[in-house]
Amino acid sequence: MSSPSDAEVIGRSLGEPEAFGLIYDRHAATLLRFLGRRAGAKVAEGLVGELFRIAFERRKAFDPARGSALPWLYGIGSNLLLKHRRGEARRLRASARMAAGPETTDGRSSAAALDARLLFPRVADAIETLPDDERQALLLFAWEELSYQGVAEALELPIGTVRSRLNRARARLRELLESKGKGRVTSR
Amino acid sequence: MNPVDLARKLRREAAFEPTALARGRETLMAAIRQEVEPRRRPTIIPQLPYENVGAALSFLERAFGFQVIPASRLEGTDGVVHHALVEFGDGVIGIGTQGAHGAISPKSGGVESQYVSVAVADVVAHYQRALAAGARIAKEPRDQGSGAHAYEAIDPEGHRWRFVHQRLREVR
Repeated sequence: MSSPSDAEVIGRSLGEPEAFGLIYDRHAATLLRFLGRRAGAKVAEGLVGELFRIAFERRKAFDPARGSALPWLYGIGSNLLLKHRRGEARRLRASARMAAGPETTDGRSSAAALDARLLFPRVADAIETLPDDERQALLLFAWEELSYQGVAEALELPIGTVRSRLNRARARLRELLESKGKGRVTSR
Repeated sequence: MNPVDLARKLRREAAFEPTALARGRETLMAAIRQEVEPRRRPTIIPQLPYENVGAALSFLERAFGFQVIPASRLEGTDGVVHHALVEFGDGVIGIGTQGAHGAISPKSGGVESQYVSVAVADVVAHYQRALAAGARIAKEPRDQGSGAHAYEAIDPEGHRWRFVHQRLREVR
């Protein structure tokens, strides 16, 4: 006996609203982690119920041809995160410090660690300065590992638009990293 | 290095309260319950006519903090909202397309034939929200002799709303 697809469950929930609880049980942990990566645990905990409440209220608009509800839920979550951009930026900078590794004071830090300390804050800044639409697409692709098709469903865009947005984001990141980078990694 | 791989390296997990998922589920279930078991409705529900129901609903939510009852929304096949119930506290009113039951929006009719009085806890906070949302203020907040504190606003189609806090007399 196979379990019903998300589309079938959402279809059923139009007549039996309680059925939507199954969508929560299937995907809430994934979405909670997604919101947490972007805006931190505290904000995520406040948003996850709101995300599913919005999804429940919009369930009539869910396209049953999609099968899985996950990209659609990611899309609703991405929109909610737009209101929390400042927290997101803070968290991105903190992630950059973590990725760069701890500061060492004993002078034994390797050249690679030094490079990382200079590089990651610039990556964070570069991601932060991307326009919302490009940042959303990039992070769904890079962090959530959605396919192009998944990103397209999440952001309700044609797949070609997703491809060009991701290409623009890549080019802009590369440009921002290179223009700020060169000539600064010279000391030592 | 590939920019996407660099971005990937900044992915960081956040630790959650174990109860976070349960609390989120409760938020969803509350929304589901609201749809499944419509709350007890007041016996009298005034109906206000508007030219543009969709615009009126979004104004009433934004400016006055009213909430549309999702299950009550009636939409045409064109996606245009014809009628919806909105609630505030334990009051409910209907917002509908003018003419459907004879009544005409003040915007079309040129007269205000009634106003609606709404009890709020904090008149000044409510006033500021309405002002920020672009409501036209007909009477600034002020104390009235009877112990009421109130202001009046006009919505985009000319309906008048009075928001009032009634200070109760001390019982000895």
